[in-house]
Formats: sequence, structure tokens, C-alpha cells
Amino acid sequence: MSVKVEVIEGGIPHNKIMIAGVICTLLCIYLTYLNVVTKTEMFSFFGGLAVVAALIWGSHTIKVLCSYGIGTGVPSAGMIAFGSGVIAMLLATKFGILAPIVALVLAAIIGFILGYVSNNILNMKIPAMVQALTEMAVVGALSLMGFAALITGGFGFTGLTTKTVSYMGMSVMTHQESFLGGCLIAVAFLLGSIAIQHPFNATLGPGWKQDRMLMLTAECGFLSMIVAAIMSFALISASSAFISLIIAIIGWAYTYSEYMNMSKRDAAAWLDSKPIPDVEGH
Amino acid sequence: MSAVAAKPQAGGAMNPTAMAVGVVLTLILVGICYAVSPAIGLTTLIAVIIGGVLIGFGTHFVPVGGAPAAMGQAPGIATGVAMLAAGAGLAGLFGGAWAADQGVVIAVVTGGIGGGLMMAITCMMVNFVYVFGMGIPSASGKVAKDPITGDTQAEYKSQGTEGHGLPFISFVGGVIGGILGGAGGTLIYVALLHLYKVALPGMMGITAAQVLTIAVSTAGMFAVGLFLVNAVLTAYNITGTIEGPHDPKFKRWPRAIVASAVASALCGLVAVLIVVLPTMPM
Amino acid sequence: MEHIVFGIGITALTGALATIAGSAEDTESNIGSQGDPNSQVQLAPQMGFLHRIFNKAVAGEPPAYGLWCALGAGLAWAFMAMQIDPVLAIVLGCVLATFVQGVYATTAYVGRTASLAKFGQPVYVDILKSMTTVTMAHAFIAVFCTVTLCYLINGALGHPFPLPLLGLIWGIALGAAGSATGNPYYGKERQYQNQKFGAGVPISASGNIVRYAEAGERNSIDNGFFTHKIGGSASGICFGLIVFLELWRTVVFEAINPWYAIVVGILMILIFTVVDRYIEVWARKNYGPYSAIKEAEA
Repeated sequence: MSVKVEVIEGGIPHNKIMIAGVICTLLCIYLTYLNVVTKTEMFSFFGGLAVVAALIWGSHTIKVLCSYGIGTGVPSAGMIAFGSGVIAMLLATKFGILAPIVALVLAAIIGFILGYVSNNILNMKIPAMVQALTEMAVVGALSLMGFAALITGGFGFTGLTTKTVSYMGMSVMTHQESFLGGCLIAVAFLLGSIAIQHPFNATLGPGWKQDRMLMLTAECGFLSMIVAAIMSFALISASSAFISLIIAIIGWAYTYSEYMNMSKRDAAAWLDSKPIPDVEGH
Repeated sequence: MSAVAAKPQAGGAMNPTAMAVGVVLTLILVGICYAVSPAIGLTTLIAVIIGGVLIGFGTHFVPVGGAPAAMGQAPGIATGVAMLAAGAGLAGLFGGAWAADQGVVIAVVTGGIGGGLMMAITCMMVNFVYVFGMGIPSASGKVAKDPITGDTQAEYKSQGTEGHGLPFISFVGGVIGGILGGAGGTLIYVALLHLYKVALPGMMGITAAQVLTIAVSTAGMFAVGLFLVNAVLTAYNITGTIEGPHDPKFKRWPRAIVASAVASALCGLVAVLIVVLPTMPM
Repeated sequence: MEHIVFGIGITALTGALATIAGSAEDTESNIGSQGDPNSQVQLAPQMGFLHRIFNKAVAGEPPAYGLWCALGAGLAWAFMAMQIDPVLAIVLGCVLATFVQGVYATTAYVGRTASLAKFGQPVYVDILKSMTTVTMAHAFIAVFCTVTLCYLINGALGHPFPLPLLGLIWGIALGAAGSATGNPYYGKERQYQNQKFGAGVPISASGNIVRYAEAGERNSIDNGFFTHKIGGSASGICFGLIVFLELWRTVVFEAINPWYAIVVGILMILIFTVVDRYIEVWARKNYGPYSAIKEAEA
């Protein structure tokens, strides 16, 4: 016997969320380019906001896909999204200022081909599959780029692989303590893939509500931003990391309390230390 | 968690047109790689494709029962197929990466043995818990007699269930799956590591010793990403659960070979392009 | 020679850490009710069986533990890059990873239960308050032991992978091993304690989990203390064996000749195959069939 998921309609249509997601994510990633313009690292927090925007879009895509009953469960969708996204993102970082656009196009191609493979070669024949996998690959790539921008201050290949440290008064470039050298991309990978599938996975059921799920996505995004900001203390200046941390904490506190309020609104009952209610016949 | 909703049933049929398209697509991608980087890029891509196919094929052997297995209602291991295969393969990759300096053959075989060892221990402990912790013998629901040992299965199946535990064929299947997954992942890792060790110093303008951490991390991340993509595609192919090589669903493996080949070719080409394309300045 | 002896010492330590980690991981996932057995906790209200079990639907154990361990390792790596002492760095990293785990647990419980409002399942705030800290404590033990063993593998044994990547690998492996070994014990033995011992749960009984405990109404801590005895210990032994044997055969034999390590690995696989076959045959002989051998009815 498996959990029954009913396709619930209503709420903001998916395409609107997708368009808003693409625009917000790209905008926030490009806003981190202000770091290069102003030669600081203060605007790294936009990377975190890009992650939140991309995750909100991506979690709704997962909802659309998994409502069809793909038979394997929700977490694998997150894994394939970020598995294909990380590959696109790493190549895209080589294209300088065009990196986010290239990431989007490349990830869309990879996702489209994976969707075609799943639907036709693996015979899954789900109507939303190709579009969903395309979107999820893009979300994966852009989220990882957002994490990279948040943690290192930029989204170019050189910035991800080097870090300048002060050694005995001289500036020395090190590769070992960089985003790619220390493989922090592995942490970003898992942060994103759990955060993208958790909102639908945690709110699925007959009482699923869109606003509650999206609020949970924002909460997961800001929570990921908190820990990513803490990790960024090692790679960017302390004040810039501190800005990211504060914004993340405020965002998380707000979205978490809102999510709890919404759950209270939707729950059958919100009891404290009460026994199991009696149901007829059981 | 699996979701059940209105969806056209996938079925085990093969789609010859789509398979042909898949094969053609793989050849086109290999051709592109040959055009941009004939020597080392091509061998890397071929190795990545073989590694990906090994992972995809090997995951079919791993016995996964899903949620019913956790209640003793179905044989197999009570975990998701993609993540169990990933766990075994990554344990193998860990061992193979350590032996990477000893040459490709030793590294790949070591990786395979590492994955197989993890699956052997896990499968043995699963049976241990079923037999000594729960008092339930192993029985398969799909065959009347175990293909290897000849044990009859039907009378050892408790009433109202589809079987439980890990019959010997499932155990062997699990070990084979671990071996193939570990070997495939290690092959991808070693091939990409070699490519990056050779090509990155020139591209980034640094010495070979300095580039080692970047090469290791990037190759490792690609291996993990490809692992998950191939494992999830296999999970889609078998729709979530499989008892092992004796399961009728196992006959679907040709679809997965083509699917893994396409996905690995695509991702491998992107991995090769990282060292072929020039880095644009920010 | 000294190099090998040092390696064996570290290997023994990592084996012990892995055993503790496996045991804590399984107990944590049983207290939180995570993974495949959780489908029954989700299903029960739909069949009319309301309960006070913590419904922690945070992916499965392998990806979830992959995240907590990679996060702990990544944070530890970042702290070490800031020149903080390694021990303190690992502790701080694991504390933060556990905080993330706790938040995910609460949102999962509240979210899933709110979506079951149609069936009248209430959200119990006292369950939220009492279970969350217990599951976080067990998660901390598991994550801390795993990150420490990753640090030892990278620092003392010289594995090329950086700490966060090792955290990912061993986190996923920990989740896979603990989930495979411990889930059936929690799912069948504890959740369906009222079913007959020694047989799987019939499909007709799905959803009818035990909700009234030895004293009062059952909650997840009762499940945790029960499953820890066998399920937790078995998971610990499983993951401990995996880490210990993998490291041991590499540390002892690879310096001498890499092919020896491979041969030893094959021998180990064969030994485990023999042991498994022995267990299977013992069960068939001692427990006997459920029905007469003639009835080959599906």
C-alpha cells in the first residue's frame, strides 16, 4: 500500500512561477557581479537570494512532476536535478560574465535530453517529464552558481579555484583552500538537492497547499544560506560574510515562523499533551 | 515514498525508435569530442561512457524492496534503489580513488571490490536481522526456485506477503551490483582525473602539484554527479523496486544501457569541454 | 613497517567510530521515523489509526545523512581554513549540521501532519518538543563520529579526497548501511508488534501500527529504545565492518602489493557470502516452512 497523492489544482499556475523564478534567479546572480565592479565582496549575499528564488521555482516543478506518480519517490528527482546541474554549472563558469546565461542554456539542453531519455527510452511516458527535467536541471545549475557566488563572491572559474591569502605579508594564491579545491561544491550540491525536494516531500498529502509549500521552500533556502554564509567566512572577507549571515538569519526566522503559522492554520488540530482522539471503529 | 496518481502505465516495452535515436545521439556526442580533442579527450569520453553504462547496468542487480520490504512484505533491501546503489558505488569510489596512482586497472578493480565488499556486508547484515532479530527466513516472490541454490521459495513465504529477506540470488545480485557500480564510478573518476592533471596546469597557468587538489575535487564531483544521474535513470527504468537478477523486470536492462550511454556521453563531453574551451575573463 | 602499524591504529579507531555512528544513525532514524518505515506512519491516519509518532519525512536516510555529514565536514573544513583547532572545528561543524537537521525534522513533521488534516490527525506540539531534541542528539553522535573518521582518513591516512567530499561519501554510505539493516527491524518488528512474530506483515494489515504502548500512548522515544537493542547494534556492526575492513585491507596490503589488497577483498566477499548462506540455510532448517512443501501457491 503506498501513500496516495492527489493532484491538487489551484494557486499560482506553474508557468508563472517558472518565469518569475528564472528572472529573479538570473537577476540576483548578476547582482553579485557588483562585487567585480566595486572591487569588494559585499554583494555576495545576492547569491543566496538567487538560491532561494531558484529553489522556490524548482520545488514547484517537483510538485508538478511527482504528482504523476513516477514510482521512485521524490528525493531522486532532487538528485537528478543537481546531478545534471553541477555538470552544466562547472562548464558554464568558464564563460566570464555570460556564465549564468550559459549555465541556463547548457543545463536546459542536458535536462531536455535526460527528459527525452526518461520518457522515450525508459518508457516512462509522463506528460510533464521532459519539461520538468529541463527545468530541474536549470534550477540545479543556477542554484549551484548562486551558492558559488555566495561563498566565493563571484561565479567565474578562476574565482572558484583560487584564493588569495596573506602569508608573511605577501599575497599568495592557494588552490587548496578554494570552493573547488576544498570541494565545498559537494556540500552545496547536497544542500540544494535536499532543499529542493523537501518542501513537496514534507507537505504532500490530501491537505497540500501551495502557499505553505512555497513558504517552506523559502525557509529551506534561507536555512541553506545560513550555513553557506558561515562557510563563506573562510573564503571572503568577514564583513561581507557577516552581511550574508544576517540577511540569511532574518530571512530564515521570518519564513520559519510564517510556515509554522500556516501549518497551524491547515492542521486538523494543534494539541499540546493531549491523548489520541477517538475515531469510530479504531 | 511513492506516490500513486492517475498516470499512463510505463510498462516494460522497448521503444526501438527511441533506442535508435539514443544510439545516434551518443555517436554524435562522441564525434563532437573527437573533433575538439582527438587524443586525450576522446579516450576520456569513452571511459566515462563505459563507466556510466557499468553503473546503470550494475544498479539493476541490486535488490531493492522499498517501503513494503521495511514491513517484511517484499524481498529486498528497504532503501531507495538510487541511493543504495550510490552508497555502495561511492564506497567503492573511495577505495578506487586511493589506488588511483597505481594505474587504471588496479584502481578500477579495487573500486569494484570496495563496492562489492560493502554490499556483501550490508546484505549479510540484512539477512542477519531478518533471521535472528525477526525470525523470518528469506523467500522470493518472483521465482519458484532460487536459480543458484535450487531452494524452493513458495512455502517459506509468509501469508499475505510477496516474500521477504534476501534469498541467495538477491545476495549475489547485490554483490555484483556493488562491484559493477564501484568499478564504473572509479573508471569515470580515474579518467577525468588523468585528463585534468594533464590539461589543467596549462589552462590555469600553474604547476602540476598545485593543480592536484582542483583536479581531484572536480573529478570526484563529476563522478558523484554522474553516479547519481545514472542510478536515478536506472530507478526510473525499474520503477523503483527490483528483487535482483531473477526478477522479470531485469529484462529491461537494454533500455538502461542506451539511456546511461546517452547521459554519460553528454555529461562526459561537458567535462571534457572544461579543459578544451578557453576561460573568458570576468 | 611503522607506517603500517600507525595505519592499523588509525583504522581501529575509525572502525570504532563507524560502529558508534551506525548505531546512532539507525536509532536516530527510528526515533524520527525516517525512510521507508515512515510510509506506514503516513498511511496509518488515512486508514483511521491516529497516532502520536513523529513523522519525519526528510528524504531517505542516505541522502539526508549525506547532507548532514557533508555539511558537518564542510563547516569543519571552513573552520580549519580559518585556523581554528581541528577538534573544535569538527565539534562546531557538527553542532551546526545538527541544528539544520533539527529544523528539517520539525518542518517535516508539521508539514506532513498538517496535510493529513482531512483524516483528523492532530499536530502534537509536545511530540515536537520532546522528540526533536532527542533525535538531534543522536544525529550529533552519528555526524560527529562520521566527520571525525573522515578527518582521520584524510589527515592521518592520506586519502586524496578533501574533507567535504569524504563527508558526502561516507554520509551516504552510512545512511545506506544503517537504513538497509535497521529499517526492517523498526518497520516490521516494532511498528507491527501486534502481528504474529516470525512472519512478514500481511498486506491486509497495512496502516494498523501499534499506537498504545506498555504504559500509555506510544511515542517515538519508545520506538528508539526498543530498536536500539538489535536494530541499532546491527547497523553499528554493519557500518563498522564496512569502514574497518575497507581501510584495513588497504592500509595493510596496498603498500606491499596492490594486488594483495584486491585478493584479500575478494576473500572477504567470499567469507561473507558463506556466512550469509549459512544464515539462510539455518533459518530454513530451524524455522521450517510456513506451509507444506507441496503448496506452491503464490
